[in-house]
Amino acid sequence: MIHDAQMDYYGTRLATCSSDRSVKIFDIKNGSQILAADLRGHEGPVWQVAWAHPMFGNVLASCSYDRKVIIWKEEGGTWDRLYEYDGHDSSVNSVSWASHEFGLLLACGSSDGSISVLSCLGDGTWEPHKISNAHTIGCNAVSWAPAVIPGTLMDAPSGPKSTPVKRFVSGGCDNLIKIWREEDGQWAEEKKMEAHSDWVRDVAWAPSIGLPSGTIASCSQDGRVFIWTCDDPAGGSWTPKLLHKFGDVVWHVSWSITGNILAVSGGDNKVSLWKESTDGQWKCVSDVNKGQGISSGPDETRPEQ
Amino acid sequence: MGAPSGMQRCKGRRSSKPDGTSRDMAARVVQTFSGWRTMSCELDGAASAVAVSRDGSQVVVAGRNILKVFAIEEEAFVEKVNLRVGRRTSVNYSCSDVAWHQLDDNLLATAATNGAVVTWNLSRSSRNKQELLFAEHKRTVNKVCFHQAELHTLLSGSQDGSMKCFDLRRKDSVCTFNGQSESVRDVQFSPRDYFAFAASFENGNVQLWDLRRSDRCERMFTAHNGPVFSCDWHPEDRGWLATGGRDKMVKVWDMASARPRELFCVQTIASVARVKWRPERRYHLATCSMMVDHTINVWDVRRPFIPFAAFEEHRDVTTGIAWRLPHDPHLLLSGAKDCTLFQHIFKDAKRPADRANPEALCFGPRGDVAFAAKEGLSANDPARRALPGDRRNPFFFIRKAPEPYDASLTQQHSGSVCSVLNVFQRCDAKEKLNPLENESESFVELAQRYCLAGRPFAELCDHNARIAMELCRHQVAQTWLILKLLYAGGDASPSPALLPNGGIFCGKDGSSGLGGDGMSERGKSEGHGDGGLEEPNEETEGSDVENLTASVGLYAAAAGLYSGNGEEERLELLDQDTTTSDFPEFSLPPEAFALRHEIVDGPAGLEHLQTNGPDGPGSGDEDGTDEGMRSACQGKVGGSTAGLGITAAESVSLISVSQPLFGQTLPPEVFAPAVIAMLEFYAERGDVQSTVSTLIVLGEKASGGVDTLVQEHWYLSYLELLQRFRLWDVATQVIRLSTCAAISALNHDSTSLNLNCSSCRRALGAKGWLCDRCRRCASVCAVCHHAVKGLFVWCQGCSHGGHLKHMHDWLSASPHCPTGCGHLCEYT
Repeated sequence: MIHDAQMDYYGTRLATCSSDRSVKIFDIKNGSQILAADLRGHEGPVWQVAWAHPMFGNVLASCSYDRKVIIWKEEGGTWDRLYEYDGHDSSVNSVSWASHEFGLLLACGSSDGSISVLSCLGDGTWEPHKISNAHTIGCNAVSWAPAVIPGTLMDAPSGPKSTPVKRFVSGGCDNLIKIWREEDGQWAEEKKMEAHSDWVRDVAWAPSIGLPSGTIASCSQDGRVFIWTCDDPAGGSWTPKLLHKFGDVVWHVSWSITGNILAVSGGDNKVSLWKESTDGQWKCVSDVNKGQGISSGPDETRPEQ
Repeated sequence: MGAPSGMQRCKGRRSSKPDGTSRDMAARVVQTFSGWRTMSCELDGAASAVAVSRDGSQVVVAGRNILKVFAIEEEAFVEKVNLRVGRRTSVNYSCSDVAWHQLDDNLLATAATNGAVVTWNLSRSSRNKQELLFAEHKRTVNKVCFHQAELHTLLSGSQDGSMKCFDLRRKDSVCTFNGQSESVRDVQFSPRDYFAFAASFENGNVQLWDLRRSDRCERMFTAHNGPVFSCDWHPEDRGWLATGGRDKMVKVWDMASARPRELFCVQTIASVARVKWRPERRYHLATCSMMVDHTINVWDVRRPFIPFAAFEEHRDVTTGIAWRLPHDPHLLLSGAKDCTLFQHIFKDAKRPADRANPEALCFGPRGDVAFAAKEGLSANDPARRALPGDRRNPFFFIRKAPEPYDASLTQQHSGSVCSVLNVFQRCDAKEKLNPLENESESFVELAQRYCLAGRPFAELCDHNARIAMELCRHQVAQTWLILKLLYAGGDASPSPALLPNGGIFCGKDGSSGLGGDGMSERGKSEGHGDGGLEEPNEETEGSDVENLTASVGLYAAAAGLYSGNGEEERLELLDQDTTTSDFPEFSLPPEAFALRHEIVDGPAGLEHLQTNGPDGPGSGDEDGTDEGMRSACQGKVGGSTAGLGITAAESVSLISVSQPLFGQTLPPEVFAPAVIAMLEFYAERGDVQSTVSTLIVLGEKASGGVDTLVQEHWYLSYLELLQRFRLWDVATQVIRLSTCAAISALNHDSTSLNLNCSSCRRALGAKGWLCDRCRRCASVCAVCHHAVKGLFVWCQGCSHGGHLKHMHDWLSASPHCPTGCGHLCEYT
């Protein structure tokens, strides 16, 4: 079962990860995918993969049920393990690379409730920072804010250019969405946002392409998708707006690169695309069924007691 | 050798008394099931095995320093008997395994690390409950196992490589089975076959024995790579044997077939120490691990990678697991090295499989969407599988053919869940109407074809507008034209090709439009203003017309003002008007309609107009029309592309009407607020391309009004996008043309390439192609032998090269270096 698929920066490669412990990399050429590499190293289902910015070379991070995070690097056509992190006590559910301005910086969210931030020091060693008890029961998703906080730009005073703040958002089994920011090398919870009534499955910070406000999309087990916006440059106030309530679990939200189209995939095997209209309402511009018959599946998929 | 002597079937022969009580207790247990909960107790030492009495009311925990029986109460474990009694704690009591007879509630057996096998009788009245001691094995006994149906038969498996069968009525073993393949890790009587038992070995083998034949095993096969730590027969009569090994796998074998056949293989994250089938659940089994992983996992063998359920209570390695009742799948007992005994309730288990994300979604930079979703086995049935072309929503996406991943996974997980990965691509060609689609393609087109410098301003605008129009970006095209009108002045009549709808509009308006003088147009707009007033809340189209007439009025008024009044008011109006025609969101409808009222009132209202305009919305009437305007705007932007095209075109036609009236006397600063608003508008919509392109073309004309930091952000965003699309040359051009110092500096970052002369090795100076010392052309094209000024490409192997085009042509014909050096040149 494929748990995650990520296209690289240029959209020419696709990395997928699966329950069968494999991470596969496909070259996308002329509309077809050719298997380019099969990365073996995890000892459990691999939940998520993430591409780093190409300025660091071809670097991929993967996280797995085996509690490990592996960072892979392609050199001379072969993929090797660059670093392996095993500081979590439970399944690692999510990995996300920070904007390239911050260097190689990776956030990992785990079922043990903690979030690790791994940063690559210049000499090739990695330094983990662990945020314990970020989400009780577990953290399901992490997503970094763009390096430029848009709100600060629009009414920026002509003072000295301040260094961008490192921020990321996380969603967990405590139904909360939290924003974290780095202060003096320590990670502190900046904002706790509550709107969902069940586990938060995915969060996605929109890329900031000329947008005046920070935007985060979140989706949850309760079938709801929220768009959070923040016009306050200090990042203090976030207002949620319900995008839609789906009939089933919503697993993923993903922004287009310009940040104005949101793709949402739900338990009903559908992907829908949403765009904000001029009056601030989110409208579904397309939905696409997976095209395959939705199968009832063998009985084992039913919850048993 | 025949059956061990004295072996008797005891079904039905057993005295009924203990049997009856235990049945009663079992009934009680079932009744109070709902009251059970996860609970634990502390132990004196690390456990190495647990076993449950048949009725599930008691549990025995064995370890190196512990051997205790606990009664399982509803709320807690209560210690009943400590079997390690006496002053001298014998090594015989250092247990590696424990078994509780399933027919006799008082009969226990333990395996000791020194090779002893001890049986215990709980019904003994003395403190010491030890009954028999068999000291026959030479090394640690890893496993003891009672026969399910035979009261007196006990089997042991030892590190010394032998298995022994004991008759509890005798003082020594009945027979010895020599596995002849290293240490025995587990022995299990088969519930299916009265005389059969399975044994697993440290070398990866599993043997099947007949109790009546001790000379050799019935069959033997290699089950695992490395030690097989545990095996367990399926409780139902199926001949299924599960084995778990250090190779982190659990395998299920069909022992009933001629050759043991692997039915399922579960991959865990750590070596498997124990395997126990879950009662009443055909495909479920519980495992615990020998190291790393402290959890007890319950697997559905058909889902080989993600546990069905997990119990994570233990803080150290779990060593013993036992289902509490043979027919209750909800209660599991476990002991661990963390010195705790747990009762786990299934409803408190974690469900990793439910947490697992069954779908993958990714928005690619080119607008592709990759999507993988769970696919049940039944979907592999060709009848149920929809054809690739069969799309409920063929609009917007086409689906690429399922890729190889699909097939491989399906095979790999025979019978389990697998995924199908689709990459949805934007569909081209057919539906150009939708402005959303092709966004990325048109981005690339525009980026490549936009002319940003090198020609007169008006030409650039015209060129870019034409390109935008070709790509159906009407609004952007109009923006370019308007910019041209605003800044270039002069020849302003737009080409007819760009105004496909202009004629329609003129017809609708009933006005000839072009060239009319101010007063006559005002007359027209008066008429339309009346019409609009009667139905202020018309449908979109009607409002559109209102909007337009209002605009006409504005221009007419502007004309009037220009001819008659002071300059200030005129400029103000002009600004507002520009905004209106540029972007509906920024339009100032109340003013527009206020103006119309004035016009209706007659020429005398002109002065009133100037006061009313800045006042903004006031009367209810205005609000009503404001509504209409808003809906019109939404219509335009929200997707009615036809509407968008028309209105944009009309706006321009209007501008062209009014343009001659402005003349060329206006200073460009006048437009700055509107233009900046335009830039910000595009940026906000995520169309940073338009923002930056216009910014570059406008150059000094506009850059003053926008904060440099904002500009920098726009530039950086656009550059980031360009780089994503690998439009390096465009990105470089943008950097070069940018008016931002910080951006221009980007091109100076680590871009210097120091060249040495190829003949005298002297470093080349400013003229990269001519050597100061030897007066020769340093970089000569290997094909045409002329100096290369511009793109120079060379092979890193033989360091020969030349003009990019020449080399390209040459290498397409021959793989060898054009100089004849014999090198097989490689260009990436």
